[in-house]
Formats: sequence, C-alpha cells, structure tokens
Amino acid sequence: MDAIIQLIHVSKWHDRRAALSDITLEIEKGEFVLLMGSSGAGKSTLLRMLIGEEQPDEGQIFVHGKNVTRLRPTEIPYLRRKVGAVFQDFRLLPKKSVFDNVALPLIVQGVSEKDIRRKVTEALRAVGVDHKNDQSPNSLSTGEQQRVCIARAIVNGPVVLLADEPTGNLDPERTREIIELFKLINARGTTVVVATHDPHVLNQVNRRVITLVQGVLLSERRIGQGIGA
Amino acid sequence: MRRLFYLVREAWTNMRINRTTTIVAVLTTAFTLACVGIFLLVYVNLRHAAGSLQEDVKIMVYLEDRFPSVKVQELEQKLKADRMVGGVLFISKEQALGEFQVQFPGESHLLEGLGENPLPASFVVTLAPNFRSPDAMKSWVERVQTMEGVAKVDYNQEWLSLLAELIGYIELTAIGVGFLLSAAAVTIIGNTIRLALLARREEIEILRSIGATRTFIRIPYFLEGAVLGACGSALSLGILKFAFELFRQQIQLTGRFSGIENMMSFFPLSVCLALVMAGMGLGFAGSVVSILRIGERRA
Repeated sequence: MDAIIQLIHVSKWHDRRAALSDITLEIEKGEFVLLMGSSGAGKSTLLRMLIGEEQPDEGQIFVHGKNVTRLRPTEIPYLRRKVGAVFQDFRLLPKKSVFDNVALPLIVQGVSEKDIRRKVTEALRAVGVDHKNDQSPNSLSTGEQQRVCIARAIVNGPVVLLADEPTGNLDPERTREIIELFKLINARGTTVVVATHDPHVLNQVNRRVITLVQGVLLSERRIGQGIGA
Repeated sequence: MRRLFYLVREAWTNMRINRTTTIVAVLTTAFTLACVGIFLLVYVNLRHAAGSLQEDVKIMVYLEDRFPSVKVQELEQKLKADRMVGGVLFISKEQALGEFQVQFPGESHLLEGLGENPLPASFVVTLAPNFRSPDAMKSWVERVQTMEGVAKVDYNQEWLSLLAELIGYIELTAIGVGFLLSAAAVTIIGNTIRLALLARREEIEILRSIGATRTFIRIPYFLEGAVLGACGSALSLGILKFAFELFRQQIQLTGRFSGIENMMSFFPLSVCLALVMAGMGLGFAGSVVSILRIGERRA
C-alpha cells in the first residue's frame, strides 16, 4: 500500500519543552487512524504540522507525496485543499448560512456556481443536515454544527481528513454519530486521522490506534486485530 | 464569478459591520483631502491667471527722438524676423500723443505747454508663446536694449517675477501639504483596515485553514481601502465645490474684485476623476501598509 502521510524523525519544541520527540510513522492511503493521548501529548501539534500550520524543528513530513517541510508559503494553501480539517470548536462563520459555510472551500478554489450547488448539497446530505442549509450555524445544535464542519471539510473531496478533538464538545450519543460519519467517509476512500483523548471513541473504532504521551510515540496497535507495537 | 461576488460582498460586509468606523474614516479622509484640494485649487487658478497675464504682457520698445524713419523701418523688420517675437506694432509720436489725450483727457494740457510733442515713437512687442517666461523676456529685453536707436525698453518685469515667485511658493506648499495630508489619509484608512482585520482574525484563520491563498484573503481589505479612499476623495471634491461656489457668490455680492469671479474656475471633470482615482490609490496604499504591518501570518 502507498503511504499518504509519512513522518520521519520529527521533533518539535515549544518553549524548550518537546511537543513531539523523534516521531516516525506512516499512514497508508484509505486508513482510519486514531491518534490518542491526553492534553499536551502533541496530537494537535502533529495535526497542525500535517497542514503546514507549524513546521518541525527536526525531521521531514510528507503528505500526499509533498514534502510539507519544504513547501513554500504560497504552496501551503494548495496542500490544505487536499487535506480537510475538522475542529473541536467547529470554526463556522456565524454570519453566513450553513450552505455558505460549506461552500467556502469551493469558492476559494474558484469552482463554478453549478458545481458549488451540487457538491454542497451532496456534502450536506452525506452528513445529514441538508434540510438546514439556509439556517445560521448558531441556530443549530452542537452535533449539527460539527456535522456542518465535517461537510465543509469533505466538500472538495480531500484525500485526507484530519479531525482534532471532533467530539470534545459532544455528548456520548452525538460522539457515536460523528464517529459513524467518519467511518462512512473513510469507507468511501478518504484517509481519516482523528486526534482524541475521549475513551468513548476508542471503544467504537476497531482500527489503528497511535498513542502519544508527552510528545513521544508510546504505542501503535490495531484494535480487534491483535497487532501491537 | 461567485468568487468575485464573494470578494466584493466581503468588502461590503466589512464596511457595513464597521459602519461607524467606515463613516469616520470617509469623513476624516474627505476633510484631509479637501485641505490638499484647497491648495491645489488656489495653485491651479493662480497658474491659470498668471498664464493669461503673461499672454497679455506687452514690451514697449521706445525709440530715440532723432532716429531716422528709414532706420525705424529697418528695426521693425529686424524685430519681426526675430524668432522670439510674436507680433510688432509701431506707434508713432503722433499716435502716442493721441492715445495719451484719449486716456488722460484732463491732463492733456500738461503737454500743450511744452510745445513740441515729448512722447517718443515706440514698438509694442508681443513675444511668441514659447518665450513668455520671465527669464526669456529678460534676456530678450537685454538684447534689444543694445540695438541702435532704442532709447528704453519697458515691461512689468518686477510684477511678473513676483507672480512667478508666488506661484513657486504655492506649488512648494501644495506639494508639502499634499504629501503630509496624503500620508495622514493613508494612516486613517490603514487604521480602519487594521481594525477590520483584527475584528475578523478568526474568520481569516478559518479561510487559511480551508486553503484560501493570501491574495484571496487580502483582496476584500484592498477593495475596502480603495472604496474608502475613493469615497473620501469624492466627498472632498463635493466640499470643495460647495466652498468654491460660496466664495464666488460672496465676491459677486460684495462687488469687490469684480471680474475675478469669471477668471476663477473649478477643477475640470478629468481632474476630478483623477483626484478620485488618487484617493482610491491612497486608500489602497493604506490597506497595503496596514496588512503588511499586521504581519504575514494573520492575513
């Protein structure tokens, strides 16, 4: 299989403290990976590096064949168009409708009006909030807001979907729904990486789990398949 | 198309949301540019007036009393052949006396007592348009003064030099004040854009995270700066036009300086458009300065 994400001896320091220490790992195309660890373990730092928001102090990172550590600032937006991102705080624009929020990545890329309408409708339908497309995000429940955030992340068909604590603001029932949604997106071929400290998520995913502790890769295993590291 | 619509709508939304800041920015820019405009208007009108006066300047070449008429004709031919000369008119002693009597009918008895006509014959010379500057006139006069039969050459040299000097000072002041106040306009608009950027930094972060390029993020702010500058400039022209008409009306009412109101003119439409474009440019520069100051990461 092809590695779609590759980290080679990656280290990063924040104020002389190692946020990530000598991380080497590969994520294959089409995989569903859980990145586990408590707060401060380095999960968010790792995800931010994958979309070029932060650069490692040592090592190299490859995403979809591109060396992220060597990208020029002008190339980073084009990397982000291939990597969808879902955030714990949703990061939706309150003054725009659900439809406009989801359409934003397509507008940015200069997609035609007709294609925007079709793709946004499809994405909203996929996450189950297509009946709320005219509403303001603030009028939605937290679960629905997270679905809109996911719709925005998948609307332009990214090769990788990164989610940073996507269930942090959700109750167990909504958490289950969101994880099921990620599984569905993964089943359609998108590589999914979910960073979380929520044990409820672990119970629902029989996939590869990477555990970070204080910036160190502690273990790598496949739940339900008996593979340990 | 939707992208263009989005960018324009974003700029409009920025201005609408920060309505008070936008209005204050447009008003302060308008008053600042109006101050520049006053100097510009005075400068343009004075230059225009100076141009008209210089066109009217006649140089009087007075001849020696006993200069033979054959030689007078030779001198006339010589003057007419001069490339610096636009026109030559000969005024004989008799014509000079006649004109004096017409212009000063009460004083004509003064000359009668002298017996012989004391007024000299002269040439009234108008220089060609390219040689009407004070320096060109001076050099021409110096040359003619040495010619045979010329008693004296007279023109309003001091007055013209003074006017040229005054225009020079106003030009310098207009440039200085224009530069300072334009910088002030850039700062005012720049600060407005800075406030808008700070107010929308979360939105900018979201745009960055979904793959918006730096240019895409910046365009609405550039547009906003340009629109603020253009509106400020257009409003300043409105203020100036109002003040100009009021001033002209006052002159007409008082009756002083009669005729001057016809010489005064406002900026032609092409200059007005150029000033609006200049305002737009200043606004754009304000946004650029502000975006560069706020840093690479945020916008």
